[in-house]
Amino acid sequence: MITVESLKKEYLEEETPTLALQGVTFTIKKGEFVSIMGPSGSGKSTLLHILSFLDRPTSGSYKFQGKSMDDMSDEELAHVRNKDMGFVFQSFNLLSRLSVYDNVEIPLLYANGIPPGKRKALVEEAVISVGLEDKLYIEAGKLSGGQKQRVAIARALVADPNVIFADEPTGNLDSKSGLQVMEILESLHDKGRTIILVTHETQTAEFANRIIKIKDGMVESDELIASNRKRRNGDLK
Amino acid sequence: MLLRDAFKTATRSLTHGKMRSILTMLGIVIGISSVIVLMSIGQSAQDLILGEVESIGSNLIIVTPGAPSGDAFAPPPSAQGIVITTLLERDIKALEREPSIKGAAPMVSGQAEVVYGNNNKTVSYQGSTAELFVIQNLELKSGFAFTKSDVNSGNHVAVIGPDLAETLFGKYVNPLNKTIRVKNISFRVVGVLEASGTGAFGVNQGDMVIIPITVAQKELLGIIYFNNILVQANPEYEIDFAKSRLTFALRQSHGITDPKKDDFIIQTQADILSILGSITSILTLFLAAIASISLIVGGIGIMNIMLVAVTERTREIGLRKAVGATDGDILKQFLIESVLLTFIGGAIGIAVGAGIVGLIYFVLTTFFASLGWVFAFPISAVVLGFAVSGIAGLVFGIYPARQAGKKNPIDALRYE
Repeated sequence: MITVESLKKEYLEEETPTLALQGVTFTIKKGEFVSIMGPSGSGKSTLLHILSFLDRPTSGSYKFQGKSMDDMSDEELAHVRNKDMGFVFQSFNLLSRLSVYDNVEIPLLYANGIPPGKRKALVEEAVISVGLEDKLYIEAGKLSGGQKQRVAIARALVADPNVIFADEPTGNLDSKSGLQVMEILESLHDKGRTIILVTHETQTAEFANRIIKIKDGMVESDELIASNRKRRNGDLK
Repeated sequence: MLLRDAFKTATRSLTHGKMRSILTMLGIVIGISSVIVLMSIGQSAQDLILGEVESIGSNLIIVTPGAPSGDAFAPPPSAQGIVITTLLERDIKALEREPSIKGAAPMVSGQAEVVYGNNNKTVSYQGSTAELFVIQNLELKSGFAFTKSDVNSGNHVAVIGPDLAETLFGKYVNPLNKTIRVKNISFRVVGVLEASGTGAFGVNQGDMVIIPITVAQKELLGIIYFNNILVQANPEYEIDFAKSRLTFALRQSHGITDPKKDDFIIQTQADILSILGSITSILTLFLAAIASISLIVGGIGIMNIMLVAVTERTREIGLRKAVGATDGDILKQFLIESVLLTFIGGAIGIAVGAGIVGLIYFVLTTFFASLGWVFAFPISAVVLGFAVSGIAGLVFGIYPARQAGKKNPIDALRYE
């Protein structure tokens, strides 16, 4: 599903080139739940941005669902982001003045060819799956942090993507809400979706069945772990 | 993105910042309404002026002395204070022989104080023949017009306008057969004109005094020539034919063989209409151009506020792009917002403009009735108003919208 090879990313910071990624290589198969871990400045966010088509690498190759990113125009990338990828951000990125419904509907607005009637059903289904059906017409800004992140997950789900990218999804949440959010991601994985999670918290990372550790722009370790569902004891932190 | 969704998104973000949207629109409202008002005033003035000229009749030809300058906009020499004495009695005789001409009335005019008892008023008087009443279609409220024999024998009789009659005699005295003094010469009032308002040559008919031309020439002015001749073409002939016959007759009468040496100017109503029409059109255009300055200022206001909105909504742009919006989708969204702003502003501006035009019409017709102001609200101004406001939205919205579309999603999402 995802194949990266010698991925490099160079930034110009005040005229000084900084190498955020120094040649990263790995493959992620369909249906995996992968945590990308690393200290801040390790390049894990840069990696996630490239994996999620928000940024292009300086060199190296990236194939998503068999298609090379180099061969795709910005418009095609936008189309793939819309159709095949879902996003969950640390800071939620909801439009606070819009209702939950309107927030969740946004990806569908950019997916051409979904009739409005079907759109409504999809939005409702996504909101029900995160357990916020009673808040459907509440302004997003009035929700709690945990609820906001669940709305963001519903938004990531609504277009039925193959991969969900989550960038520190529990970073702004208390442990109880964080656990709820991780359990939702876990259940999405159970339903066959590929989840790629960036975090620096070990406990959060351990929801995955594979952990890729990044340090100084390189893969430090890449190992499969046993599903920690049994080891976990309710409390995340 | 469907256009319908784009509109929904745009209206939503406009209604979220209601006060800002309204203030931004205000610039366009003022711009469009001033264009509308000034265009309508220009149109009204044009209708008024052209209406006056039309009222003198389409088969009317005016002969003024002086050499044609070739420049239609140049005033005749007589208007520049140059006295030309070439139009004489024999010209009238020559014109009366011409079958394509129905009638010719020589005219002289001047200003004089008119006195009755203790009342007086300085007005312009016109000396002419009985033909004038026929040619100008002057109707009388009471009494009669003076006759050919009055003119021939130089009788001291006068026909006066209704406003002057009221000034001199008040409401309750019948002016007929009373004696008024014009330049200290006594005249017996034989008729009072029906019409009020402005007649040919811009003379206020309400304050007019018409006396036999023989008396005016000999006793008031001391001249033997005419200031101009009003000619009525015979309706059985084409006006242009009558005009050429008139030219021929006058050349013969003046002994002119070289057409370049004409010492008279012949203008039909159509000639005057086209000159005045182009003058007033230029005036209207000029007024609209001044008004459009405020429109440009309003448009810059739109651009400014849209740029602010783009910066404020950087994160929103980032999010929309992350979930699949293309540069074009974002551009479309912001462009629709600015066009919607200007279009609604334009619609309100047209309505406000119409209100002001109506108010001006009401005030002018109520308090200045004699002006004869006409209501004109040109459809072209409405169409122009909508078109201009829409275009303003596009022109002033495109730059901010492009800025929005070009934003990099990662930078946009990180924006604080």
